[in-house]
Amino acid sequence: MMTYEQFKDACFRCALENGCESAEVYTASSDGFSVNVLNAEIIKYAVERSKGLNLRVLFDGKTGYAYTEVFEDPESLVAHAIDNAKAIENTDESPMQGACEYPEITKKPNPVVDLSEEEKIDLALAMERDTLAADARVNRMGYCSVDTGVIETHISNTLGLNADSTERVSYAVLAPILRDGEEEHESYSFKFGPEMTEYAGIIKESIENALMQFNASAVDSGEYRILLRNDAAGDLLSAFSSMFFAERVQKGLSLLGGKLGQPIASEAVTIVDDPFEADNPRAFDAEGVPSVLTSVVEKGVLKSYLYNLKSARKDGVASTSNAGRMGPAGAVTTAPSNFYIGKGEKSFDELRTALGNGLIITELSGLHAGLNPISGDFSLIAKGQLAENGEIVRSVDQITVAGNFLALMQGIEAVGSDLRFGPPMSGRIGCPSLLIGKLVVSGK
Amino acid sequence: MIKSSIVDAVLNEALKTGGDFSELYLQDTETNTVTMIDGKVENANYQRKVGAGVRVLKGTRSAYAYSADTDEAALLACAKAAASALKGTKEFEAKKICVDRIGTSWAKIPFSEIDNAKRIELMRKGTNAAKAYSDEITQVVANYMDCDHRTRVYNSEGVHAEDRRPRVRTAIQAVAMANGEAQTGSSSPGYGMGFEAYTDKIDIENVGKEAAKTAVTMLHAPECPAGTVPVVIDGGFGGVILHEACVHGLEATSVGRGNSVFCGKLNQQIASPVVNAVDDGTLPGEWGSMHYDDEGNPAQRNLLIENGILKSYLVDILGSRLMNHPVTGSGRRQDYTYAPTSRMTNTFFAPGKDDEEEMLRTMGDGLFAAKMGGGSVNPLTGEFNFAVGEGYWVKDGKILCPVRGATLIGKGAEVLMKIDRIGKNMWMAPGMCGSQSGSIPTNVGQPRIRVSEIVVGGKGGAL
Repeated sequence: MMTYEQFKDACFRCALENGCESAEVYTASSDGFSVNVLNAEIIKYAVERSKGLNLRVLFDGKTGYAYTEVFEDPESLVAHAIDNAKAIENTDESPMQGACEYPEITKKPNPVVDLSEEEKIDLALAMERDTLAADARVNRMGYCSVDTGVIETHISNTLGLNADSTERVSYAVLAPILRDGEEEHESYSFKFGPEMTEYAGIIKESIENALMQFNASAVDSGEYRILLRNDAAGDLLSAFSSMFFAERVQKGLSLLGGKLGQPIASEAVTIVDDPFEADNPRAFDAEGVPSVLTSVVEKGVLKSYLYNLKSARKDGVASTSNAGRMGPAGAVTTAPSNFYIGKGEKSFDELRTALGNGLIITELSGLHAGLNPISGDFSLIAKGQLAENGEIVRSVDQITVAGNFLALMQGIEAVGSDLRFGPPMSGRIGCPSLLIGKLVVSGK
Repeated sequence: MIKSSIVDAVLNEALKTGGDFSELYLQDTETNTVTMIDGKVENANYQRKVGAGVRVLKGTRSAYAYSADTDEAALLACAKAAASALKGTKEFEAKKICVDRIGTSWAKIPFSEIDNAKRIELMRKGTNAAKAYSDEITQVVANYMDCDHRTRVYNSEGVHAEDRRPRVRTAIQAVAMANGEAQTGSSSPGYGMGFEAYTDKIDIENVGKEAAKTAVTMLHAPECPAGTVPVVIDGGFGGVILHEACVHGLEATSVGRGNSVFCGKLNQQIASPVVNAVDDGTLPGEWGSMHYDDEGNPAQRNLLIENGILKSYLVDILGSRLMNHPVTGSGRRQDYTYAPTSRMTNTFFAPGKDDEEEMLRTMGDGLFAAKMGGGSVNPLTGEFNFAVGEGYWVKDGKILCPVRGATLIGKGAEVLMKIDRIGKNMWMAPGMCGSQSGSIPTNVGQPRIRVSEIVVGGKGGAL
């Protein structure tokens, strides 16, 4: 079998010989370790090594892709890519990034990745032990794991682009199951990055969130004022983030089409896409475009969409360095970097006081099904608490909240100071708690 | 092919530290996708994913290591990595392979005989049919996928199983817009067949038309009211309610660790007596079918619920050790990057005896969910939620008007007891199911059913 370098060079040579204008490879290799414990024993232990190469060619002005995890037969891979390029009927230009300089970024060191397997296993065991000891109602663990990995990404093309990055990732996940009488409830908490070894905070948080679910019941159906807690608000923003992608706008799949320069949210809302955010910085995107900070919404006014090279060329603007890929095997699409609503002045408790009578929503589920990023409509199962005069009266479950995302954005009365980021998936979304106008609640 | 000496070496290396079971899984998958937007091909992709994983069990402990390299050195490295989870000395020797199970592809027309021109022609037909349905259709997105998934499993109990699973799926989404509002409809049939699915099973123009019909109908529909009412759920993808509200809670993944509302309920009444439910991985050419599962066990037809009584869980090898329950041919995984666990295949409410029209006529005021969207469940509490893709409000037993934006929520154990009608005509529809061992193709299905009471969410205001 060829080495990776030999294979890449052969692909480039073969692509150019067969009439491609340019060719690019995107390679991701990862080494990972994962351990899951239950009852002081390892129940799952996994070691991973993977490497794949995605070839993108420009042939007759059109882009074709082919991906493989077997580094043999470069001719066949190039033939697949050219065949796919020939199939393209969309005539939009799809440029590749040439040689360029990258901004200096400083990634926080992550020594957790370098711990021995024994130390990582001990960490998971200690997490379980400490969670079980933290509250008498913790009956068992639904989940308790430590994951670490090193992901190396390499992008290079025949225009001279050469971009390399190494991500050192680690995270802890725990989910205690609490039992009180006949009722059982579970709540997941995560911690990413080097701080995961200080996990006391997520134990406390997961227990509090599980306790909140006991003795809950539905409220009467009707309109309620809503305080959306930061994590639930972030989940909702994440599910609707594709509305801001230029490629969705250009294809008529976003209600934000034609809204640049117009108010789309209340003045309290500012949205930024910041690839330099300290906890998750990157020097370039999935096309090797150097990172830039993008102001998306300023005081409620839509300032920019998120662009990759192709959608930027179509609108005659520069890429906002928001090319993404759904894994190394996928085609170039759009993805946020660190995309967040900027924090406001009020603490969560102050927002609760301002809520007065209404519902605090602490969890939204079914986001892949119960909302539509094209229409902006959502109708989601929710959990939370009922508040009267700013004080929590009881827990609430078995309700749905329904509304429209753009209407919700326009109805935001106040943004909290408690900005919180979700996990770094394809794009990392951050949101503070949001005091929003009325939503329709279905319950009893 | 892989030499039997290498298989032996890998299975024994994995047992070196005291494991009592080892397993080698090899995968080679080729996938072609085409995306057409607004009648133009936007993207075409080819992917070949190849890799291997080695699993070791000792009692109910499990270790897994995988690699994209599949040469001898890489396989032995995986075996060593998985074995390193245990700290003992060798207790068991791997048996020589003595059982050969070979599943042959259901494809009559393999994808290697198909070129992009044929794929594009289909997408074009579907797109044109959607656009022709109404001037209000402003955008059509068509996604085509074909996939040839080849798996091989060897284990230390002497089993060798190979399977080849072709799959086709087309998803057409139509967008209807008017007055600054947008609504969507989608239709996405899929089968475990070759390209012949497009002549034998799928009418692509009808797929486009169905998607457009839902989008346009919903564009002119008022918002669904909110409240607790009777609901009739139509057949096909309506079966997602069984999938989410019940059968996820029957998987060893949750039952084996005591984390399901259905733990300890075998041979007890868990559903109303009209309910019979089945998970059947053997149906030829269906989206969720296979010959052998990803642990090398034969696919089975599993009767889960009979006249409301729980008869079986869905159990993989590790689950059978945790639960003292026989394996049910339910060990599945997305690909080599996941260890297998208990999963569904084709899961459906079996046909009942009730009249489809009568159940609407006698329901009073409520919702008719003609097309369901996706959903999810918390197996510990059984709390589920589903989106309704195309709903109709029913008043005094008569369909009043379409309604948009409805969601159904509830608790699985409660809703199963509230099913009071099951129709005669059952059909299935495909979906992708996400769980611990990744995203896998599963069918859901049912005849038209009625639930006497369920929470309906929508933004049309309280009833």
